[in-house]
Amino acid sequence: MSFEYHEPTSVAEAIDLGARFGADGRFLAGGTDLIIQIHRGKLRPRHVVSLHRVPGLDGIEANGSVTLGALVTHRALERHPAFQASLRALVEGAEVVGGHQVRNVGTVGGNIVNASPAADVTPVLLALDATVTCAGPRGERTLPLDGFLADPGQTALRPGELLTRVRFSTLSERSATAFLKAGRRRAMEISVVCVAARLTLDATGERFTEARIALGAVAPTTRRARAAEQALVGRAPTQAALREAGRLAAIESQPISDVRASARYRTLLVETLVTRALTRCLGRIRGTVS
Amino acid sequence: MTKLALTLTINGQRHEVLTEPNRTLLDVLRADLGLTGTKENCLEAECGVCTVLVDGRAVNACILLAAQCQGREVLTIEGLGRDGQLHPLQRAFIDHGAVQCGYCIPAMILSAKAYLEEHPTPTEGQVREALAGNLCRCTGYQKIVDAVLAAARESADRR
Amino acid sequence: MRVVGKSLARVDAPGKVSGTAVYAADFALPGMLCGRVLRSTQPHARILRLDVTEASALPGVRAVISAADVPDVRYGGAVKDETAFAKDKVRYVGQPVAAVAAATPEAAEAALAAIDVVYEPIPTVLNLEAALAPGAPLVHEAWESYTGIPILQREGNVCHRARIIVGDVERGFEEADHVFEHRFRTSMVHQGYTEPRAAVASWDSSGQVTVWSNTQLPFEAQNTLAEILQILPSKIRVVVPGIGGGFGGKLRIGVEHFAAFLARKSGRPVKVVTTSEEELTAAYPRQGTVVELKTGVTKDGRIIAKAGRIWFDTGAFAGSGPGVASVATLVLAGPYKIPNLHLEGVAVYTNKTNCGSFRAPSGPQSNFAVESQMDVIADALGLDPLELRLKNIVREGDEGPTGQILRGVGLEECLVKAAAAIGWKDRRPGPGRGKGLACSWWTTTGGSSGVYVKINPDGTVALNTGAAEIGSGALTGAAQVLAEELGIDLTDISVVSADTFSTPFDFGAQGSRTAFAVGNACRAAVVELKRQLFELAAAQLGAEPDALTLVDKHVVALGKRLSLADLARLSQQTGGGLIAHGTFIAPSTPYDTKRVEGHVYPAFHSPSFHAHAVDLSVDHETGELTIHKYVVAQDVGFAMNPTYIEGQIEGGVAQGLGQALSEEIVYEGGRVLNPNLTDYKMPTTLDVPRVESILVQHPSAVGPYGAKGVGEPPNIEPPAAVANAVAAATGLRVTSLPITAEKIALGLLDAGAGGA
Repeated sequence: MSFEYHEPTSVAEAIDLGARFGADGRFLAGGTDLIIQIHRGKLRPRHVVSLHRVPGLDGIEANGSVTLGALVTHRALERHPAFQASLRALVEGAEVVGGHQVRNVGTVGGNIVNASPAADVTPVLLALDATVTCAGPRGERTLPLDGFLADPGQTALRPGELLTRVRFSTLSERSATAFLKAGRRRAMEISVVCVAARLTLDATGERFTEARIALGAVAPTTRRARAAEQALVGRAPTQAALREAGRLAAIESQPISDVRASARYRTLLVETLVTRALTRCLGRIRGTVS
Repeated sequence: MTKLALTLTINGQRHEVLTEPNRTLLDVLRADLGLTGTKENCLEAECGVCTVLVDGRAVNACILLAAQCQGREVLTIEGLGRDGQLHPLQRAFIDHGAVQCGYCIPAMILSAKAYLEEHPTPTEGQVREALAGNLCRCTGYQKIVDAVLAAARESADRR
Repeated sequence: MRVVGKSLARVDAPGKVSGTAVYAADFALPGMLCGRVLRSTQPHARILRLDVTEASALPGVRAVISAADVPDVRYGGAVKDETAFAKDKVRYVGQPVAAVAAATPEAAEAALAAIDVVYEPIPTVLNLEAALAPGAPLVHEAWESYTGIPILQREGNVCHRARIIVGDVERGFEEADHVFEHRFRTSMVHQGYTEPRAAVASWDSSGQVTVWSNTQLPFEAQNTLAEILQILPSKIRVVVPGIGGGFGGKLRIGVEHFAAFLARKSGRPVKVVTTSEEELTAAYPRQGTVVELKTGVTKDGRIIAKAGRIWFDTGAFAGSGPGVASVATLVLAGPYKIPNLHLEGVAVYTNKTNCGSFRAPSGPQSNFAVESQMDVIADALGLDPLELRLKNIVREGDEGPTGQILRGVGLEECLVKAAAAIGWKDRRPGPGRGKGLACSWWTTTGGSSGVYVKINPDGTVALNTGAAEIGSGALTGAAQVLAEELGIDLTDISVVSADTFSTPFDFGAQGSRTAFAVGNACRAAVVELKRQLFELAAAQLGAEPDALTLVDKHVVALGKRLSLADLARLSQQTGGGLIAHGTFIAPSTPYDTKRVEGHVYPAFHSPSFHAHAVDLSVDHETGELTIHKYVVAQDVGFAMNPTYIEGQIEGGVAQGLGQALSEEIVYEGGRVLNPNLTDYKMPTTLDVPRVESILVQHPSAVGPYGAKGVGEPPNIEPPAAVANAVAAATGLRVTSLPITAEKIALGLLDAGAGGA
């Protein structure tokens, strides 16, 4: 079934079209989800609004805080110099999304809005306390990403609204991030479980002051493992503490059994991957691990 | 349904195409322009046989709307090689026994070309990673990887 | 040797790297319509209503057909149980019910959606256990009325049983010091060719239809189409423009008949191409199996009795099931000397897609069981698994399980070399790391092949063969044989292939036979061609024919010479041209008929022998594997083109590792849960290790220069080799395929809990 195709050349025009078409329209970024769903007959939009001629949505700013335009591709994310150090998890998440072909066109915004519970970059953004900005006919609103994801394929985006950017603060000193993924093969894989973690040590190096753990593919949406996080804050950075957090995160996860994996295996993976991601963060803070 | 009048630049040549908006670059290349060197299979960006280069970047033509290609440079396998001379990658694929059924090969060559242009001296691991979005069922990838590494070395030697 | 044995570039490479080679999926004719197939959504149901009126009236729709529009014919290989469209009843989700041809893909899709089908579900049999249970619903109530090849043993949901019986296994078990019993399970897997099945059909005014298709067996396709269409085979021309991989999945009729019917009804050419979903739900995948194996050994490790049964879940139609069930018994015996055997292969109907042949059909499943058990036996007896095998393997002149005399047996060399290359002495190099071995034997399928070889007026040579090139390079191999025999270069040869109208009969690209058979047919053709050349040259040169020699593309005598080009031109003027018909029919392999019952494939011809070895590590917590090294030693008889043989080994191992580690078509309630490439997980570049290939050469008495079939064997041993390495690395014995990280992680967890 075909559709009308539109190519706005400004955010305002895009929003205007979005408002006009409402639920009959869809924004097209990389197309790595939308075109496939149209092809499978799962979505039948009457209007497709391509964003690739809208300027100003594909920039990356990193100065005190990081702002990613919604149309930043996974490829751009992987390569940006600002993400090679403490924000390394962004690269680790981006570089495992599909193959080069998908990463060359797939976007951060598209990935968030597609709201797959197994998305790879989203857990990293959650662990970074990211916010998303949505633009609509009534103006812009900025929401925490945590809470923006509602259900598989559903976000708090209103019909016709356009996600324009994602923002998070740069990390304080003695912080690091890590991202790990498990799947049945080493590429082109929808995560069976993925995990993002962020840790901050205090000035003495003897206590965690901040912890974030985000889990993918073990709940209807990417979600934080709050009990595990809280168990780390104020704790000494021992392997036992990290393992404990892993166990708590496993308890907090709500995996299902499907053709990719059983709930039991997913739970096991959460514990293992969270522990390993935290261990890697700690190693990165201490400079013992790259 | 309103058809779109598009001007597409494929392999350096301009083509005037009239098509429904939902047709992909792959549809237009194969059915409208008779350029069947770009292959079709899963149509879901999973297998990579439809890989072409758009502005030098490897993309899956099966999920790219033809409309999105207006004003961009598309390179297909037919655009490689000059005046009957094979491109070094094509030559390397032949010389290293990297071609079996051949169906995945145009896409492999293009993915490799895009990668080598940015990374002229890759390691084996990097070549494998660059081609991870291109499935091959015949070769087990080994001679394809060898061919790409050989082509890279040859280009490096010539510089 | 100038040409054979050399790693020369294949003849079809330039077209393939430049994108000019045309595959069936690329083929198009002016005015062509788009054909699509409507498939059953029920695993087992009566068709209460099928109404195509609305669909037929849609804009752009030029033909809609179903069972009512086609001859009422049952066709099939071993059992004629298939119909082009379901009639009255559907037996699997995906079974064709109707087909449409329309001006555009969208119109075709709309027509499919507009066909009104009403099903009444009836009780299903969704797995082996259900199908074999007493009183189970019958997939084919009228099975007795079906024609089957006479040797078949059919009963209800069992469409064949084949047996090898040697000696007395019960006595053997009594005499054994130890008896081991195991049960294994393997999954349905798809060949995974990257080019979908495709066919274009066009009728001419004389009632002849031409079908361009990526079939591996153009002549069989011609015959089957004749049966289905109910017209003479001579009215059907099957042409193979090019094939993007087959691996056995393109052996049988896929969409050719739909294209032909739709083209006839619409009066236009019609193209039908399968989707990924159709491939993963309604193609000819490898059967899932259950294997029970019982082996008796002496305490010093001699195998004295083996009883086994392998059940093939062959789906709603027999397909290749009976043949595969037969072959399995030979793989279950293994390349071992065992005095008492009772081995049975059983093909069973279920309400799933009808399975077919996939590279070494029955090989990986049977070998997984045999070679896994060998390692368990070795460990239990305190023997090195390599030593256990060397103690029992067949050697030159030994008997095979059905009594054939084995010649050209390179197995010991393969085992020893593979073990050495993997560093076998250090079987467990570190924690969580282990090495595994597996070996097997396989056949070079027989059948006949014909070629025409013509010398062109410019001295180049045309090789005209009925064989289809599916990607292995077999036709290049055959051309190398031709070049060697005629004393010309490979680059002097052009190949025309796979057209039932104009190329000679070929049994088809199956069973690793193409280079073997076509190569031999070329040798036969050259004998005749030389006779023609010499006869002509003798007259010209005034010499006796036996004083002539063929040297450097010239016929030479008495200090004078004539080039092949000269002779070809002369012959065109005076004698109709230099052209020879060469044929080869594989000799049958004698065996002891008393040892087999109901056996469709009682001996392995020009058998190959092979051993795989793998070194891997297991992540105890996630269960994920990392393969450090993979070695294959394969007895190829004679390596016609080492590079392309390595290619077959590297590709076969990759495909075998897919079955070993990540691939399975998962059914639930009779429906496939993962009918797409997102969730049918074939190995990518990052999943396949480098493979070291060791080519061993113990010549076949029959193959060209001693060559044996090489394409299928590498697919056989990977699952067992991996299972054995995992066991060495972790102590965990996984007895089902695929060996996923989940099975390993949970298996280790449960074993730890049990052992604590």
